[in-house]
Amino acid sequence: MKFSLARPAFALAITLTLASCGGGGKATFPINVTVSGLQYPGLVLSTNGQDLTVNPPATTGQDVVLTFPNQIEYGQTYEVTPKDATITNHTYTGGSQPKHQNCAPTLFPAYGTAGQLAKIDIRYACAILAYPLTGTVNGLKGTGLVLANGSTAGTIGVNPVLDTNNTPTGAAVTFAMNPVPYNTTYGVTVLTQPTNPTQTCTVTGGANGTGGGTMDDAAENNKGVTNLVVTCQ
Amino acid sequence: MKSSILRAGVVALACALGLSACGGGSGDLYLSGAVYNVTKDGLVLQNNGGDDTNVVSPYTAFQFGNRVSTDDQFNITVKSIPSNAKECVVNNGKARANYYTIGQISVTCTIKQHALTAVIKNLTGSGLVIINGADRQNVSVDAKTVQMAMVNEGAAYGVTVLQQPTGQTCTVTGGYIDPNKPGDVGNGTGTMGPDENTTVTVTCTP
Repeated sequence: MKFSLARPAFALAITLTLASCGGGGKATFPINVTVSGLQYPGLVLSTNGQDLTVNPPATTGQDVVLTFPNQIEYGQTYEVTPKDATITNHTYTGGSQPKHQNCAPTLFPAYGTAGQLAKIDIRYACAILAYPLTGTVNGLKGTGLVLANGSTAGTIGVNPVLDTNNTPTGAAVTFAMNPVPYNTTYGVTVLTQPTNPTQTCTVTGGANGTGGGTMDDAAENNKGVTNLVVTCQ
Repeated sequence: MKSSILRAGVVALACALGLSACGGGSGDLYLSGAVYNVTKDGLVLQNNGGDDTNVVSPYTAFQFGNRVSTDDQFNITVKSIPSNAKECVVNNGKARANYYTIGQISVTCTIKQHALTAVIKNLTGSGLVIINGADRQNVSVDAKTVQMAMVNEGAAYGVTVLQQPTGQTCTVTGGYIDPNKPGDVGNGTGTMGPDENTTVTVTCTP
C-alpha cells in the first residue's frame, strides 16, 4: 500500500521535471540589429514576418541599435533583409532602402538559425549613393589634357581621337569623372591644358553652366550629371 | 649489398637536391603586404635592416625580394618615405614568419596637407559660394579671404564659383600659370606644392 502511493508520486515528479524542460517553451532569441552610416529615413528591415523601421540617429555618425519586436525560437531560421528586397543567394537588391543611400549586411551574414550562435547580431552598413559625372570634350587635338574635380575626387586624362594616320581629328570624346556622392558639390576644371598643338580648354555645363553644381535631388532623378562640355580651341 | 648502397646513395642525393631546391635560407614565404596613402616614389622598406625594397607605381603593395622560411624572425621597417608623406607606419611588421603572420603586414602613410586660401576682391553682393570639388564654402560679403579645406600635397585643386553673388559676376584666377602662354593668369586650378601659402584669387565685378 505504501509502495503504491510512492510510485505515482515519483511518476508525477518526473512529469513535472519534463514539463520544465519542454512544455514551458524552448529557448528564444532576440534578433539584434546594428546599422551604421545611416543618414536618411526609409530603411525598413524584415525577417520572420516582422518589420523594423530604422530611423537615422540623432547624431550623424552614430550607430543605430535596435531589436525586432518578437524573439524567435531555437532552430528557427532568420534572414534580415530590406523589406521586399529581391534575394539572390543571400544578396539583397532593392526593397525599402533609405533615401539617397544603400544599406547592406557587413561583417557577418544576415541569415542563420537561432541557436547556431550564442547571440543573433545583425550588422548593416549604409553608404551614400554616388552618381556619374560625365560629359564631352569637343575640338581636342593636343595631348596631355587633364581634368580635375577638386582635391578629393581624383583627376582624369583625356586623349584626342586619332585617325588611321595617328593624326588627331578633333572629334568629340566622352569622359567620366569619378562618381559624386549625393548632396556633394562638384566643380570640374582644367588642371593641365593640352599641348602639341597648344590648346586652351574651358569647361561649361553642369548645374551652374560653368562645370559646377551639387549632386542634388534633380541630379539624382537624372541619374547623375551628364551635360559637362569641355571646349578646346 | 650493392643494391642497398645504391639505394642509400640515391636517397641521399635526392635529399640533397630537395634541400638545395628550397634555397639555402631564402625560404618559401614571400614577405608582402598592402600599402595605403602612397602617391609617388620614395617609400623604401627594409627587413631586418636590409633587403631594401622600393614601393613603386601603382603604390598599393610591396613585396620583398628575399623570401623567408617558416619561423624566421622578420622585422620590417621604413628606411625612407615619399617627399609628400608626413610619416609611414608599418603594421604587424615584426613577427616569426608563418602563413598567418605574413598575411597581416601593411604600411600606412599619412600625406602632408597644406592650406589653400582664396583671396576675395571687390565682393559687394551676397550669396557667393565657392567650391574646391566637394569642399563648399559660403563667402560672406565682408570676407577678404576664405580658408578652403586642407589639400594633400601632390593632389589637384580647382577652385570655382558654384553660385554667383547677387548683382555681380566673380571669376577665379591663380593656381598654375602656364609659362608658355603670355598673359596667362590661371583659372584657380593647380597641383598642391610643398608650400603653406597657396592662394587663388576670386575677383568680382562690377
